[in-house]
Amino acid sequence: MSAVIDVQGVEKMYRRKVHALRGVDLQVGAGEIFGLLGPNGAGKSTLVKVLMTVISATKCKGTMLGKKIGDKSALTQVGYLPEHHNFPKYLTSRQVLRHFGAMSGVDRKTRNTRADELLEVVDMTDSASHKLGTYSKGMRQRIGIAQALMNDPKLVVLDEPTDGVDPIGRKDIREILLRLKGEGRTVFLNSHLLSELEMVCDRVAIMVHGLMRQQGTIDELTQGRSGFRIKTGSAIDEQTIDASKAAVPGVECAGRPGENTIVFKTNDAQAVQPAIDALRARSVVIESLGAHRPSLEDLFIKAVNEHPDGARPGAQKAKKGKRGARS
Amino acid sequence: MILMQTIAIFVDAYRELNAKKLFWLTLGLNLLAVIIYASIGINERGFTVLFWTLEGLFNTSMMSKSTFYKFEFVTWGVPMWLSWGATVLALISTAGIIPDMVSGGTIEPILSKPIGRVRLFLTKYLSGLGFVGVQVLVFSVGCFLVLGIRGESWEFGLFLAVPIVLAFFSYLFAFCVFIGLVTRSTITALLLTIVFFLLIFVINISEALTISSRETAMVQIEDAQEQVKSQEKFANKRIEQYQEQGKAIPGVDGEPLPPNFDDSLEAVNPTLSFARENLAKAQRKHDSWDTWASWFSRVKFVLPKTGETIGLLERNLIDDDELDGFIQMMEDLSGENSNQQDPRVNERIEAVYDARTMTWILGTSFAFEAFLLGLSTLIFVRRDF
Repeated sequence: MSAVIDVQGVEKMYRRKVHALRGVDLQVGAGEIFGLLGPNGAGKSTLVKVLMTVISATKCKGTMLGKKIGDKSALTQVGYLPEHHNFPKYLTSRQVLRHFGAMSGVDRKTRNTRADELLEVVDMTDSASHKLGTYSKGMRQRIGIAQALMNDPKLVVLDEPTDGVDPIGRKDIREILLRLKGEGRTVFLNSHLLSELEMVCDRVAIMVHGLMRQQGTIDELTQGRSGFRIKTGSAIDEQTIDASKAAVPGVECAGRPGENTIVFKTNDAQAVQPAIDALRARSVVIESLGAHRPSLEDLFIKAVNEHPDGARPGAQKAKKGKRGARS
Repeated sequence: MILMQTIAIFVDAYRELNAKKLFWLTLGLNLLAVIIYASIGINERGFTVLFWTLEGLFNTSMMSKSTFYKFEFVTWGVPMWLSWGATVLALISTAGIIPDMVSGGTIEPILSKPIGRVRLFLTKYLSGLGFVGVQVLVFSVGCFLVLGIRGESWEFGLFLAVPIVLAFFSYLFAFCVFIGLVTRSTITALLLTIVFFLLIFVINISEALTISSRETAMVQIEDAQEQVKSQEKFANKRIEQYQEQGKAIPGVDGEPLPPNFDDSLEAVNPTLSFARENLAKAQRKHDSWDTWASWFSRVKFVLPKTGETIGLLERNLIDDDELDGFIQMMEDLSGENSNQQDPRVNERIEAVYDARTMTWILGTSFAFEAFLLGLSTLIFVRRDF
């Protein structure tokens, strides 16, 4: 896998006080949909802005599309949709696309054709002549995505693309993302909507407290955490949980008194059988037994809980802020 | 790609102004100013306004039509309209260019395009100047046609108004852009620029007043020196007379002066002491005004020379003979010297201003603009958005 984005040790310190990025390493492969997630204040948007040259890193080593981070020429092949964008309200959507196409260096003929094509892709052809000021949030978001695609980019960076978009719109956006992937483009997504990311991303990274905590495919991240889940007919007590644990020595078992789920972290179905026997011996009604795989949300919450300071924006204040050289 | 991006930024600036209706509103007001310019004229019977003639002495026998329109342009069109009315309108129109660009959500997509920040910032700055350039050009073309058709003189020198007014506006716009970038607020940028504009105006007036007072004091010194010299001559003559007659030199009280009296001149001519006192007084006055004038000149040196920049148009459009003729005519019409000031003072003041060459006026003003623009560019390049 050739890396479209390959950065190491990205640091960003604001005003010698807030350490927003504390040595981030990130690799995004060509042709994949990569999802970046993290709680508010984790530094996700800061990282994206560093890549897009909107802010300069305090320290940064690495490349994007083979060019050094900060090299403007790399941006001819990058499309970017910022979070909370505010495209000129006095322009029509067609004018927005043509304007940003020109700013990306797309020639007049191509940008006229491409603007019409993209308006169709984002289902905005009927409103193409209306000014952006008259659009809803979802419509502006669609135009924002189209704008990011005007220069036929190899890498598309979308910061919260489904923000303010209704469920049908989200589905449309997911289809656009898969279509972009099908065309061989790399998509870098920054989103809070974990279920959205789970549905489309090939690889994800979880960022907490200005550091990349986990990175990989969802399978890689859940490896060792999958197993079997037993759902009981009624709430279980501590003795029942202890009896289950005792029945399967060597297998990690998780359950909470008052709940009706016990999870066994093993992929060996045979190893779980004694636990079922133990539960049945205690007359516990078993409602279901099935394979368990943690969701992206589980991984996310686990990562955040392991580093609770990261959940609070601005929590990562440096004690002695010595600003390094700008990249 | 550079040309494509530059055109895109200019087109966007036009659309932004157009959306605010400011482009066409300002253009309309400029055309209205041209219509007013055209509606006032002069013929063989007198002064004309639209279709009416106000008969009087002020007619083409006193001043040709072309001179009348040129004077109208340099005394009203440029200093009143372009330097004040149109400038304030242009500032209102363009003050938002930078604050709007750097506002959250707008700057990110622009910065993520393959365009360097220095070029982006300077192109935005130029787009504001371009707007003003178009407005001044429209006004100048209108006035050129009026002067050609009604004044029967095709004066291409009129188009000097475009670079001169543009230079004048650029000083203020550089300040406006700097404030707009630092505060990110259009209204703050606009208000502070107008305050800055007024401050320059006040400093110009103060400097002119202090220079005028200093030169008046200098002329008074010259007069007082003459007076002292003549009184000394008179006193010496009297002393010589006493000596020839073999008489002792009397003092003020009529008694002979003691030997080695240090100022026998004042003793024989008491008026000399008054003359000397007047000279000392004039000297002190001059020194005081000179200190003030020097301070104002120093302050003015670093600030843009708005008044003098506009004055360059007058220097280039109307020659000295025409100007002298016009001043003479105004004096004849009013039946008295329109300027009560001693002509020697006027000459001295003129010499001070004439010493300020076009290079000095534009050089120091552009240095101020370059400093502010450089500082703004540096802030823009280094800022995290």
